[in-house]
Amino acid sequence: MFQNRAEALALALPAAIFAAAVFLVPVVILLSDGFRAPTGGWTISAYTDFFSNSLNQTVFLRTLRLSALVTVASAVIGYAAAFAIVSLEPGAKGKVTGLVVLPLMISPVARTYAWIVILGRTGIVNQAFQALGITEAPLRILFSETAIFIGLLQLFLPLMIISLISALENMPKDAIPAARVLGANWFQVFWKVVLPLTKEGLVIGGTLVFTGSLTAYITPAILGGSKVLMLETLLYQQVAVSNNFVAASVIAFILIVMSFAANILLKRVATARNKQRSQA
Amino acid sequence: MTARSLFIPITLLLVIAFLIGPFLIIVAASFSAGETLAFPPQGFSLRWIAKVFTVESFRASFGMSLFLAIGGTAAALVLGIPASYALSRYKLPGAEIVRTIVSAPIIVPGIIVGLALLRYIVVPFQVGITLALFLAHTALVLPYAVRVVSASLDNLRSDIEEAAVLLGSSRLGAFFRVVMPNIRGGIMSAFILGFVTSFNQVPVSLFLSGPGVRTLPVDMIAYMEIVFDPSVAALSSLLAFLSIGIVFIAERFLGFSRYV
Repeated sequence: MFQNRAEALALALPAAIFAAAVFLVPVVILLSDGFRAPTGGWTISAYTDFFSNSLNQTVFLRTLRLSALVTVASAVIGYAAAFAIVSLEPGAKGKVTGLVVLPLMISPVARTYAWIVILGRTGIVNQAFQALGITEAPLRILFSETAIFIGLLQLFLPLMIISLISALENMPKDAIPAARVLGANWFQVFWKVVLPLTKEGLVIGGTLVFTGSLTAYITPAILGGSKVLMLETLLYQQVAVSNNFVAASVIAFILIVMSFAANILLKRVATARNKQRSQA
Repeated sequence: MTARSLFIPITLLLVIAFLIGPFLIIVAASFSAGETLAFPPQGFSLRWIAKVFTVESFRASFGMSLFLAIGGTAAALVLGIPASYALSRYKLPGAEIVRTIVSAPIIVPGIIVGLALLRYIVVPFQVGITLALFLAHTALVLPYAVRVVSASLDNLRSDIEEAAVLLGSSRLGAFFRVVMPNIRGGIMSAFILGFVTSFNQVPVSLFLSGPGVRTLPVDMIAYMEIVFDPSVAALSSLLAFLSIGIVFIAERFLGFSRYV
């Protein structure tokens, strides 16, 4: 440790001042806009106005519902996938993990665009449904909540799988066989042994997936269109179409509060785990 | 075969098909000879791949994205390396505050950063769009730069540079001759992570676009809303192979995944 304070400040301050000037101060001013009364002073009327509008309510609830659904679905699929991956031979495990991580390197625009080819009117799903005689006319899957759900799940599932793989690998090797020997069925093994032992991994993965879905712009923009909005696409419309900066500030505040809440939860779990480790 | 031994291959097949399949479809669609985006592709041709290079707006926005990814990441490292060094080696007053400020842009959604910058920096101070994009992308990459460089500094024993200082080197000389060569891998990894993050970033750049000034992904979204031909698929495939290639090389030569 060097003790020279002036040197330390000279090294750290440029970055801190830059981030404060370019990021922190403008964002704080933006957020305060939603609380400012037109006549001066402070008010929350922008928030009551926002939530009294039924379109805004729909978008708010849809964003929460879709983010929660994507998180739950990615947890269910993530556990199955992570279980399968950790049970592979070491060589195969590395390759399959690589395939799971690979999509994270690809531009989200490209990944989302693919679903247009798959879910569109003349897309693969509709071709298959019509060939099999399930439907007569092409289904409208694109520009719906279903399309956004599928797109978000594909975008964020890798984050959940990676979190669960490392959680499962850190689990004591003999925990599952021990529970089996003692007569637990597979459901009990999962619920009473695996879930408590991998809870941190689940919370970390869940937070990443939930905040990712909450603040996703590309997926609802491409797969939801201009009708099925989420909070981010609503924010964009409020600015680009309606020039309503107060509503934009309200949405920004809601998004930030929710992502911060999720991140605080994540930090809590991480520190609880560090404590456990240092006690062990 | 029991039900359990079938569970593993079937699960893996379905999950990987879901994660990778759409990408393969995009690649296949970009070799189509047809006029519209379709799968299975109609015939085989390279016309859409060739067309990507002739679309003027793609060329301009690719140049812009490349400039932002390289310049923004370099600027973030110039700011981030000294800050990481101070955080890791010095008793810095208010260290937690500094750490929080420089890593905050990662938690706040990009669309909000872009909007705030537009309203309170670009408009009041008459800042050009290109400079605003540069500032935004630098702020966006800064948290990654600090995190990755800090991690590699924390893994490097600090008594080496203390020894160099005791032996008469200046603090600065010790940094460049002793510390830098040892954290080169971390810096390169931070650069690649920052490059890919910046290049693929959309929300922060949404509001920061002007006449002829746009980043490539924002341009692609605008294009696909108007034209329904396979050229966006072709461009997507090219970009995907480019970023997979970069990360693959980085992993091969730097052990990229150790740092991120």
